Amino acid sequence: MSFDVPDDLSYLESHEWTTTDDETVRIGVSDFAQDELGDVVFVELPAVGDEIDAGSAFGVVESIKAVSDLYAPISGAVTAVNEDLFDQPELVNDDPFGDGWMLEVDPSDDSEFDDLLSADEYRDQIA
Amino acid sequence: MIYDQARYTEDETKHEPLLSEKDTSTVEISDTDSPLPEDLTRDDLTLPGLSEPELARHYTRLSQMNWSIDSGPYPLGSCTMKYNPKFTEDVAADPNAAIHPDRSAQSAQGNLGLLHGLQEYLATIGGMDAVTLQPPAGAAGEFTGILIAKAYHEHHGNDRSEVIIPASAHGTNFATAAMAGYDVVELPSDEGGRVDLEALKAAVSEETAALMLTNPNTVGLFERDIVEIAETVHDVGGLLYYDGANLNALLGRGRPGDMGFDIMHYNVHKTFATPHGGGGPGAGPVGVVDELAAFLPTPRVRETADGDYERFEPAQSIGKVHGFAGNWLVVVKAYAYIARLGDAGLSDASAKAVLNANYLAEQLEMDVPYGPFHHEFAATAGDRDAADVAKRMLDFGVHPPTTKWPEMVPEAMLTEPTEIESRRTLDTLAEAFNNAYSDTDEAIETAPSRTTAGRIDQVDAARNPRLSWQALDE
Amino acid sequence: MTDTDGSPFAPHTAEETAAMLDSVGVDTEADLFDIPDEVAFDGNFGIEPRSEQAIRGEMRRLFARNDDLTEFMGRGHYSHYVPSLVDHLSDRAEFLTSYTQYQPEITQGFLQALFEYQSMLVELTGLPVANCSMYDGATALAEAALLADRVRGTSGQTILVPELLREGKRSVLENYVDGAGLSVESYPMDDGNVDREALVDLAGEETVMIYAENPTVRGTIEEGLSEIGELATDTEALFCLGSDLVALSLLEEPASVGADVVVGEADVLGLPTSYGMGLGIFATSDRFLRQVPGRLVGVGSDVDDRRAYTLTLQTREQHIRKERATSNICTNQAWVALRAAIHIASLGPDGLVDLAEDCVRDAAVLAERVDDIEGYQAPIHDRYHFREFVIHTDQPAAAITADVEAEGYAIHAIDDHLIQICLTETTTHATDGLVDALQEAA
Repeated sequence: MSFDVPDDLSYLESHEWTTTDDETVRIGVSDFAQDELGDVVFVELPAVGDEIDAGSAFGVVESIKAVSDLYAPISGAVTAVNEDLFDQPELVNDDPFGDGWMLEVDPSDDSEFDDLLSADEYRDQIA
Repeated sequence: MIYDQARYTEDETKHEPLLSEKDTSTVEISDTDSPLPEDLTRDDLTLPGLSEPELARHYTRLSQMNWSIDSGPYPLGSCTMKYNPKFTEDVAADPNAAIHPDRSAQSAQGNLGLLHGLQEYLATIGGMDAVTLQPPAGAAGEFTGILIAKAYHEHHGNDRSEVIIPASAHGTNFATAAMAGYDVVELPSDEGGRVDLEALKAAVSEETAALMLTNPNTVGLFERDIVEIAETVHDVGGLLYYDGANLNALLGRGRPGDMGFDIMHYNVHKTFATPHGGGGPGAGPVGVVDELAAFLPTPRVRETADGDYERFEPAQSIGKVHGFAGNWLVVVKAYAYIARLGDAGLSDASAKAVLNANYLAEQLEMDVPYGPFHHEFAATAGDRDAADVAKRMLDFGVHPPTTKWPEMVPEAMLTEPTEIESRRTLDTLAEAFNNAYSDTDEAIETAPSRTTAGRIDQVDAARNPRLSWQALDE
Repeated sequence: MTDTDGSPFAPHTAEETAAMLDSVGVDTEADLFDIPDEVAFDGNFGIEPRSEQAIRGEMRRLFARNDDLTEFMGRGHYSHYVPSLVDHLSDRAEFLTSYTQYQPEITQGFLQALFEYQSMLVELTGLPVANCSMYDGATALAEAALLADRVRGTSGQTILVPELLREGKRSVLENYVDGAGLSVESYPMDDGNVDREALVDLAGEETVMIYAENPTVRGTIEEGLSEIGELATDTEALFCLGSDLVALSLLEEPASVGADVVVGEADVLGLPTSYGMGLGIFATSDRFLRQVPGRLVGVGSDVDDRRAYTLTLQTREQHIRKERATSNICTNQAWVALRAAIHIASLGPDGLVDLAEDCVRDAAVLAERVDDIEGYQAPIHDRYHFREFVIHTDQPAAAITADVEAEGYAIHAIDDHLIQICLTETTTHATDGLVDALQEAA
C-alpha cells in the first residue's frame, strides 16, 4: 500500500510531520500513522501557551485498539491547537496533512529542523 | 450448528427498553417524613421502580440475550472458561456462613476453618508454603505478589527498580509492575516462542526485583528452561513470580514451587471453576515460599494447639489489599470444587484440558505456529482478519477464542477449550472455526447476523461516549 | 456415561479418550505434556475427592461451627434485606456463567444490566461517569487517589484522609499509592465529623486529594461537605467522597457539594452479609473520563441501526495500554453489580428513600434507649447518625462485647471504653434482646 508523503514536510521516525510557514510550524501525524491507528476516536493536545520539547510527548492520539503518544519534532510554545479535532477526531484519518493538523508552534531553536527526516528518508523508513 | 439468539425488539430503534424507559418516578425528599434537616439531604431522587413481575420479565429477557458457559463452548484463551458446578452455589449460600468479618475469632470458627482449609489446599497444589486468600482478583493477586517482592527487597536493604516481563505476557502484568512503581523490562521470546534465555541473562541485574512468568506461557508452551531461568533470576537476588492464569495445564503434573517460583497467584475463577459472573467476582489468592511468608497481607488464619482457628498478623505484613477478607463467596466455591475433584480429579482436569486442546487444534484448518502446546494454542487466521472470523463464529453457536493476542502470532486466535468439552462438542467447535475461516469476505465482514445485536459501531461509541441513560436524553 | 475416575466435569469416556489420543497421534495423556522430569510432580496432593453429597454435609457442619449470633455490626459492611428476586434472577446461568463482554453482539443482556447499574450510580452521585464496578470501597478509594495523582497539574504528594478512617481501608490506600510516591496523612475529627478548620490548615500545595466519608465509619452524618468541596477547589486538590448506595439516596448529593470522585460500598444492596465481600463504587466527572479505571459500558448502534451496548474506551485498560493503563484491574465485581441493580430497581426511589430514612430514625431511637441504660452514654457524638453509632461504656468494652456475645449478640468494640452498634431492618426485631443484654453486661 502506498502512503501519502508530502515532499514539503519534515518528519520524525515516530510518524509526526512538521511544516514551516513563515514563523509558524504546524504539526500532525502522517498518513501511515493514521492507517496504523485505525479510526481515531480522541486526540489529547496541550493548551495554547504550553511549551513543548523536541523528543518529548506533547499529547496522545487514541483509536479503538491503541493509544499512542505524540512526540514533538521541535521545541517551542504552542500558538494554536486544532479545536476541530475534539468533535471530529476523524479528520486525522480523512486529511492527516490538511484539516487533521494538530498544533501550531513558535519554534525556539531553528537548528532542530536539521535533525528531522526529509520526505525521502521517511518514505524509505515506512517502505 | 446454527445459533439464533433471542432478540426482543421493542421497535426498530432498540431491543429491550431500559428500566428507565419502562418506569421512572421522582421522590421529593421534602415530601417525605424526613428525619433530617433539609440542608443535610438531597433534594430529590429519580430512579426506576418496577413491580416484581416486570423485573422478572426484564431480567429474564436480558439473560436470554446473553451467552454463557452453560449456553455453549467458550474457548477464550487464558480464561479457562470451564463449567461452574452448581452444588458450589448451594454451599456458598449456607446461611450460617453469612457473618460479618469483624466477628470475634471464636464465634467465626466455621468461616476461619474454611479459609484455613483453602489456604492449605492451594499451598499444596502450588507447591507453596503459605497462602493468603485476600486479593479479590488475579490482577489484585499480581499486585499483592509484587508488593511482597518489594517489601522483601526493602527489608534486605536492596533498592531494586525493575521487573522483567515477557512481551507475550497478559496486560495486567505490565500494569501491575507500573502500579507498584517499577520500571518494566520487556523480554522478547526466542524462535520457539519461549523465553529467550540469552536475552534474560542480559536483562537481569542488581536492579531486578522480579521476573513475572506464566507457565505454560500465553501460547501454551511450557518453559523447558524453567530451572535455569529460576537460577538466573535468583543468582542476581531477584524473585521469580508465577502468574497462575494457566495453572489448569499443570494441575497434578507440575507445581510452581517445585520449579523455583517464589511467589504465585491463583485465578480461582479460572482453574478452580468459580463462575465468571459477566466479568467478576473472582479471587486471586497468593502463595509464597517460607522466606516470604512474613510479608503476606493481614490477617491470615492458622490452627491453634487446641485445633481451633485464629487470625494473626504476619510479622512483616504488607498490610491489606482488600477492605476485609477478599471475595468470600468465591473462595468458598473454590474450596468446594477442589474437594470434589481431589487428586485424581485435578490431574484429570489438566490431562483432559490438554487433550482437548490438542484434539481441537488437529481438526482446525488454521495453522498453529508454536508447539508443543498444552491446554491452549494460538492458531493464526493468516491473511484473514481474526476479529472478523471471530464475529462469524458467533453465528455458529460458539463463542470465539481470544483474538489478536498475543502479538507474537499475527491474526492470533488464542483458543482454550478446557476439559469440560466432549469430543462431540469439540467437533462442532472445530466446524464453526473452519466454516468461519473459509467463509466469504462479505460473510465475515458483515457478521454476526444471528446474534441479538448485529456488528456494533465501536468507533462511534468511543467518539461519543454515552455511559448512562441520562446521557441518552441529552 | 463418563468415566467415574477423574474430574466429574470432564465428559470423556475411555473410548472417546482413546480415539482422541489416536487422532492426535500419541499413546497416552502423559505424552502430551512437555514438562522436564526434574520439575515433574506425581499428582499426590493428598486431597481426597468427595461426592457432592458428602461435601455439602461436610461444609454444613463446618459452617455450623460459627456461633449463631444476631449481628448489630457495620463499619463498612452492612446487612439489608435482599429480596428473593435478586437471587433468582442473578443466579440465572446465562448471567452467572457468562464472561466479560468482549463480544458485545452476543452479550447484550449483561451489558444492558451494567449500563443500567452505571446509570443508577449517576443519579445517586450526581456525577455523569460511573464505571461498572471496583472490588470494594477500599480499593475504589485507592484508585481515586491514583487518578487524582494523574490529573493534578502540580506536584503534590499527599492524600488527606479522616483520622477515624477504618484502618484496613487506610492500609489498602497506602499500598496502592506507595508505587506512585504518594503519602497518606490524617486530618483530625471534630466530634465525629471532619474538623474543617484543622483540614483548612493542613490542606495546601502538597495536597493531591481530600477524602471524606458520609456517613463516617462511626455512622455520623457530615454537615459541612460543601466547605470541603470549596477547600479542594482552592487548593486544586480533588475532593473524593465515600458513601454507600442507601446513604446516597437520602444524604447530600455528592455532585452538589463539589465532589470530584465518589467511591464506597455498593454491596449494601444486592448482597447480604458476606464476610466482607464487596462492590466498589467509582463515579466521577466528565473531565476525568479518560482517567477512569475499570470497565465502562457505553451505548452505540449496530449495523441495523438499533441501540446496542458495548464496553468502550478500552484503551484506558491494561489489555491495551499495559504499563500505562489507568489501573491493572481486569476481573471486577460485575455479577455483584447486577444484583445491586436488581435490588435498586425493586425498591424504586420510594423504597430506597424510606429505607434510608429508617436508617436514621431507627438508629436515633435505639441510641436513646441505650443511653437510658446505666453505664452507657449514647451516642457519644452530637450528630445525626446513619444506621450506627458509638457508645461510651463505663465497663471495659472488651468485657461488654464478650458478655453480650454470650447472650447471642455481636457488636463492635472499637476502643477500651467505646462500642459501636449498627441497626438495620434485618435486626430491628431483636433490639429488645440487645438492650437487655447490654443492661446485663453493664
